[in-house]
Parts: sequence; structure tokens; C-alpha cells
Amino acid sequence: MRNPYLPLPMRIERVVVETDDRNIKTFSLSFFHEEDEANFTYIPGQFAELSVLGEGEAPFGMASSPTQPGRLEFTVSKAGVVTTALHNMEPGEIIGIRGPLGNGYPIETFKGKNIVIIGGGFGFSTLRALTNYMLDSHHRNSFGDISIFYGARSPGLLLYKDELQEWGRRKDLGLYLTVDRGDNGWKGRVGVVPAIAKEVAPSAENAYALVCGPPIMIKFTLPVVHELGFPPERVLLSMEMKMKCGLGMCGRCNIGHKYVCRDGPVFTLAQLNQLPQEY
Amino acid sequence: MPDRSERIREAARTLLRKNEVELVIGFEGGTLPLHSTPCFIRKEGEVDRLVWNSFCDNNVSKYLVKRQERIALVTKGCDSRTVVELIKEKQLSREQVIIIGVPCQGLIDRRRIEGKREAREILGAEEKDNQVVLKGAGWTDVLDRDKYLHSSCQACTHRNPVIYDILVGEGVEEDTGDSFSDIAEFGTKSPQERWNYFSHEVDKCIRCYACRNACPLCYCGECFVDRTRPQWIGKTTEISDTMIFHLMRAFHMAGRCVDCGACERACPMGIDFRKLTRKLVHDVKELYGYESGTSLDEVAPLATFQPDDPEEFILSP
Amino acid sequence: MKPKILKKRDSARFLDKLLREYEVFAPVKREDLVVFGRIHSGKEAFLDYMNSKMPPKEMLFPQLEILFTYTSIDDPSKIETPPSAGKPRLLFGTRPCDARNSLLLDKVFDGEQYKDTYYRDRRAPLVVVGIGCIQPCPTCFCTSVGGGPFSREGLDILLIDIGDDYVAQVVSDRGKKLLERRGLEDAGADKLSLVKKVIRDAEASMTSEVKIDGLAEKLAEIYDDPIWGLLTEKCLNCGVCTYLCPTCHCFDIVDEARDSGGKRIRIWDTCQFPLFTLQASGANPRPTNKERLRQRFMHKFKYFLDNYGQIGCVGCGRCVRECPVNVDIRQVLTVLSNRLEVAP
Repeated sequence: MRNPYLPLPMRIERVVVETDDRNIKTFSLSFFHEEDEANFTYIPGQFAELSVLGEGEAPFGMASSPTQPGRLEFTVSKAGVVTTALHNMEPGEIIGIRGPLGNGYPIETFKGKNIVIIGGGFGFSTLRALTNYMLDSHHRNSFGDISIFYGARSPGLLLYKDELQEWGRRKDLGLYLTVDRGDNGWKGRVGVVPAIAKEVAPSAENAYALVCGPPIMIKFTLPVVHELGFPPERVLLSMEMKMKCGLGMCGRCNIGHKYVCRDGPVFTLAQLNQLPQEY
Repeated sequence: MPDRSERIREAARTLLRKNEVELVIGFEGGTLPLHSTPCFIRKEGEVDRLVWNSFCDNNVSKYLVKRQERIALVTKGCDSRTVVELIKEKQLSREQVIIIGVPCQGLIDRRRIEGKREAREILGAEEKDNQVVLKGAGWTDVLDRDKYLHSSCQACTHRNPVIYDILVGEGVEEDTGDSFSDIAEFGTKSPQERWNYFSHEVDKCIRCYACRNACPLCYCGECFVDRTRPQWIGKTTEISDTMIFHLMRAFHMAGRCVDCGACERACPMGIDFRKLTRKLVHDVKELYGYESGTSLDEVAPLATFQPDDPEEFILSP
Repeated sequence: MKPKILKKRDSARFLDKLLREYEVFAPVKREDLVVFGRIHSGKEAFLDYMNSKMPPKEMLFPQLEILFTYTSIDDPSKIETPPSAGKPRLLFGTRPCDARNSLLLDKVFDGEQYKDTYYRDRRAPLVVVGIGCIQPCPTCFCTSVGGGPFSREGLDILLIDIGDDYVAQVVSDRGKKLLERRGLEDAGADKLSLVKKVIRDAEASMTSEVKIDGLAEKLAEIYDDPIWGLLTEKCLNCGVCTYLCPTCHCFDIVDEARDSGGKRIRIWDTCQFPLFTLQASGANPRPTNKERLRQRFMHKFKYFLDNYGQIGCVGCGRCVRECPVNVDIRQVLTVLSNRLEVAP
């Protein structure tokens, strides 16, 4: 029986500094062993626990899509012991992985529907994975209109800048980028993400709203999606709580009786409304 | 023990009625025999919950920190000394607290009483004059109160509050002075014997931090045991970790600890902290002539520097 | 198998025989405390006790567990898990409340989706012999939460104290195997009728009662009620209630490094510590002792029930007896049960 606490080895292939303050980096990882890679089947929205032996383990949402095999990507914001250790690592170095964990986005229910993605700051990483999944040539036709609202505090803090440019050129999705504060080079929208979403007013008909970002952004976005007519069953949030085991045993990440690691991290607003408002 | 309960209630009633305080912190009867428990009163109508008896052994000055209200505190001698230290350490202002001082004749160590009963559960306990009447299933026992006081109460030299705004009773006689004879005696043992003793004690530790959380002077927002960058000590119950925790906490209390015994009373495993803390109390007295919590004007020796401070340990370690 | 008689005066010798085949853990006296410890001779067992200071939860879920050791941070393939135990283990003389914890911990550690191999390796071979409570404490409320002073859940054998002897009731096949060929006499009808009396008297003597019916729904209703602030105000947020609880199961995972090697360990943790939910950003969903103590009650009496169909408490009463400020779970639950919903 597989011991769920043992990490599998992975090699850092590439490190991309995402933000101008250098506090967010994306790591591309590859498995040592082919069978580990074959067994690691995941869907966007799931996460994994990355280990730096001697420092600890921390959970990170999958930033890559399973439609892009051969690499697993995680976007890491430098905040604590493990993330700082990761940030100090270079390509070629080894880390451990446990996963995939969590429930992921309910992709089947998205088929045939319009998808409105509203993401802010660092929370955008799993939404980026989902976007790449949906945009994959094998899948694009399964989904309806895709609109993406994404913003950061300043242009330098936007993640995945190259990809954003590519997406901006596509005809099969609507991309609405914004920053709280522009700079000399920024020619795009200025304003907070919820305000832009409200202004553009994507239709709620036959659509799901997927929201992910810092608590303050979520707080102001939820009334907007409500006004736009999205019912709580069709608003999805990816929750973040401090986690350790990722298996629903250590007791740490619960909201009410749900464990974010095991029953989440993706929840509908309807589900969250049933839980104690601990947040 | 004279019944001070009524005088405490009267003081609380008046203070609340005149709106001189918004909160009274004191004690009420517990849910188990030999227990009283901290209580928080905000309405005049509730003051009858307040009691004073030999089971009021929590140090309620713990609850003063980080509060905005004006508070009246039912304060025994040792508690008043921690209030003095808290004021000196700027955790609250003197104006914020009205001290209802209670001259104290010592509190009962219920664990010692329970330990003696072994398999006979105590169902009721009552204080009568200077005795404690215990009742069990089909048995009664009458104990001499004085024989079952907490060890910190037996060594107490400040039974009367050192500061107060209201005093609910006549002062009680103070003990002449702490001879620290137990510390001197322990000091005659060899270093290995002493190490073995402390190893044996901290071996019982389960890292519940009841000692730290019960101590009014442990109010740091981030305790050194919780810090991760850098991590000072491990989180396990291995002796290398627990010994460091207890030694460092004792040293953090040097020059501040008033030997109220709250740590010892909170510990479920019966660890003897006071040997360590009393050694430090004794050394601070010897080296700096300072007794913590007795004067609002004296600065704690480890919070300041005098040119004539002893320095032998620097030049001849 | 018919119930057997184990004479009290033979129990030390009986344990000596078991020691040849098992590592035996039993209540022992350590200064003033009764704790569970490994014994090397039958005489060390101290069976005339009310209940131990700490429950024998460590038999299944130790406070410190090495998950794995590593010798090189560059080569995760050199990770090693600790070797399995040697002789099979036997827990002797536990109380029925403490033994029931295995039913609850099984739900957590041996679930459908994930199985904790460390827990399973301890649980599967463990033989548990319990001693029923002929004199329940006034703080015991096992009968309110689905247990009882002579509950057999989690046990292989239940010993019933009828004076000079124990009547040993077999509960499981493993218990049967243990008692076979030990030369113990069958219990006669007179002893068996004493058993009935002892059980009846013990159950009738239980004074503590907590109303559990409808409690989970009530707790959900009054989640935001200001009464929580009042009930939790004196709580020190230490870990006494958690670490002395037979059913608490929260833990932390940390790495300890030494040069290029080290280990990953799991250690007990408690939702009562502020650090438990503190995020690296500094945000804390449970910032004060009110939220943290509320979590304890909600988890044990609602969330655990929602997830696993059982109350997350066995009514042993340790938290009642040992809380440094006398936060009494029975009192808290009674107040909450009776709380009428506060109008918004």
C-alpha cells in the first residue's frame, strides 16, 4: 500500500521570474522516473505538496495543464520557509512532490458552457492551467465563450506575461487585463479587476464564473457576479488555507466540516454559503 | 479564611454602577470540587457570581493585556506584583486598572489532595474555618488547610497586595522572608545530579504550553518557540527540545517572575518549574538587589544597565 | 468462548506470560501520576486506578512519529521509512472510553481515499484488553456520547472487576486466541450474575449527562452568537485539552535537518494554538481564542459527525479535570444547547 507521505523526486528544469519584484517565480519540473510521470494524472485546479528536504513541504496549485505533458509547473510566491528555500534553488536541483491532491475544477460540467474567469494577482496560477486546458486544440470546441478578467497591482506584477500576449492575439477568447496602477509603458486598462468585470458585464446565461485571488478581490468580486446574475451554484472559488498533510488528516485546513485539501480547493459559492463564515 | 466574597461583590457592584469600570475580572465557583475559575463580569446584576476562597489559584492578571476597557481586577498578593511588572513593561497603564486587593492566606493545592485520594473520587469540598471538608461516596475527610497549600504559597512573602485601590479585608501577617533554603540545598548537589533532576522533570513535558499561557508575563505576540525564521528550537517532546524550552522560558522570566506559581498549577504533568525560576529569582536578588513586582519605580535589572553591575562572568567565566 | 476468570492476585503472573509474546503496555505509576508505559514485568502494572493522566492514544498515534529519514537532499530516492515494530504489541488495562478512540481515529487515518500507513501498521496487530469502570468518575460522560463504562468497542477482551477477580469477556477472535490455553477457569453462574450487578450499578451511578440530541444542528444555528465570546473568554489557548484527549488527531509535519541528512517528522498539534491556521501572509482565519475554542467544540460535536457519522468525543472527562481555568465541556455544551437563537 502506497505511503501517502513519501515524496517522489523531481528535477527543476527551468525557473522563470514572473514579477519585477522577483517575489514570484514559476518552476518547471520533470519526474525522475517515467512511471511516476505516467501515474501523475491531474486536472486543473488540483494542487501538489512540494518538498524541499530539510526545510519542509508546502502546497502549490498546478500552474500547468495536463495537455502540456512532460512538464509540471508551479508558480511560487516567496512568503515563508519553504517558498524562500525554493526561490533559492536553481535548475538541476532536486525537490520532492506529493500529489495530485484536491478535487480540481469540475471540467465535465463546464462542457458546452461559457466560462468567465476572474483572477487577481497570485491566485491566477490554477486559472491559467484551466485556460490552457480549455484552449488546447482537442478541447476548445467543448467549451463555449471564454472570457478572462485578470489583473495585478501593477504591470510588473502580472504573471505569465508572454502567454498573456499570445492569448490577447487569439480570436476564440476575450481577454481583459487590468492593473490597479499603471506605469509609463502600460497602455491597457487601469482599474481593479471587479470594476472591470462589472464594466464589461459578461453574460451569466449558460455560464460559470470562476473566481480566484486575494481575499479583498474576492470580497468585491462576489457582489459583481451576483449582480450579473450568476447563481451561487455556478460561481466557483478556489480556496486557500494553511495546509500540511494534504490528505484530510492533520485537521488544519478545514472550513466547517470540509477540508480544503480533500473536499476542495475548488468549491461552489453555494457550498461555501453552507459552511460557517469563518473567513 | 475570612469571607471576603461579599466585600469583593460590593466593590464590584459600586464600580460598575458608577461606571468607573466596564469589566470586573475575578473568580467564581468552578464546576468541580476544589476548583474556582476566572470570571468576567460586565453587569451589576452578575456580581453575585464573584467568590473568594482557597481555590482561587489562577493568576487573573493574565487577562489584562491587550484590553481597551477599564478593568477592576480581583487581585491577590502575587497577582498584584505581576500587575506592577505589566505596568512597568507598558502592557497596560496604571489608570486602566482598578485593583481590588485581597490579602491572601494561601491557596490550596488540589493536586496534592487529589493525589492522596488515589482511587477515591472527591465529590464535594467545602471550606470551614481553617479546614477543608472533603466528601466522597460514603466517606468524609477533614483536612488542615495549612498542610495543603501550594508550595509557592508556603514560600510567599507578599500575601498582601503591593498596590491596590480598594482593599477587601485586613492585611494578613507576612512571612519574614524567603530564605531560598531549598535552592541552596539543591545547589549542593553535583552538576550531574542536578542535570539528572531537570532531565527527569522536563521528560514529562508534553509541549502543551499551559505553563507559558498561564503566565501573565508571557504575553509576546510571537513566542520564541513559534518562530520559524530562524527556528530557535524544535517542536518535539524530545528532551533536547523540551529542555531548551524550559530553560529559555525561565531565563526570559529572569528579573520578572514573581513566583506566583501559575505555571506549576497549570501543568498537567506536575513538572517542577519553580526550582529553575526560583533560582533565577534568588540570583537576581543577590546580584542586583532587586525583587520584581514590588515597586512601580524600580526598573527591572535586565531592562537597564548600571555602571556598577557585577561583571565577573565577563572577565572570568 | 465462555467468559473466563482472571484472579486479581494472578494478574501480574498472567502479564509475565504475555510478556514472552508481546510488548506489553499498561498503566504504571510515575510519581503521583498514572500513565501508560511499557512494562517489563507484570508487577509494574498499576490496575487499581481511575483513569490515566494521558490516554494511551500514542499506541496508535504517537506524539512524535518519524515519517522518513533522508541522507542526501539531492537524492530523494534515498528516503527511508522507519523499520516496522518487532514483537506484536498489547495494550492492557485501558478504559472503555479510551479504547473507543480507535473507532474515531480509524475514520480519519484509514479513510476511503487516503490511508495512513503508519497508523494502520500500529492498529492492525494491536491487541487491546480493557478494564470496565465499576466506579465511573463524576466527570465521565461516556454514556452521553455513545459509549459506556463497559463498552466493548475497540477492545479484544473486556475485564470486569467483581471484587477479587476479573471476569474476562471475549470480544474478538484475537481476544479469544489470547485467552485460549492460558489455563483460566470458566466463570461460573454466580460470578456472571455479579457481573450483571456491577454493570447495572456502574451505569446507574453516572451523574454527568450532556444532551447530544439536536446539538449539532443547534451549534450550526448559533455559530455567530456572541455567547461564544463569553464562554471562551477565560480560555488560555494552551494544548492541555487537545493533548490529553483520546480522540484529538491534529498534527504538524516538520523537517529536521542535520548537515546533509535529516528527517521529516509528524508531531501533535492543536487548533488551540494561534499558529495552527496562521498563514505566511500573516492572515489568520482564527485570530482570537474565541474562534479557536469554538472550532474545538464545532469539530467534535458537529464537523466530525458530519464527516464520519460519529461524535468526535468519548466522554473521558480529562479536559474537564485538567483545564487550568476550568473550561468545562459539559457546561459549555449545556449552555449552547439551551441557547435560544439571538435575533439578528
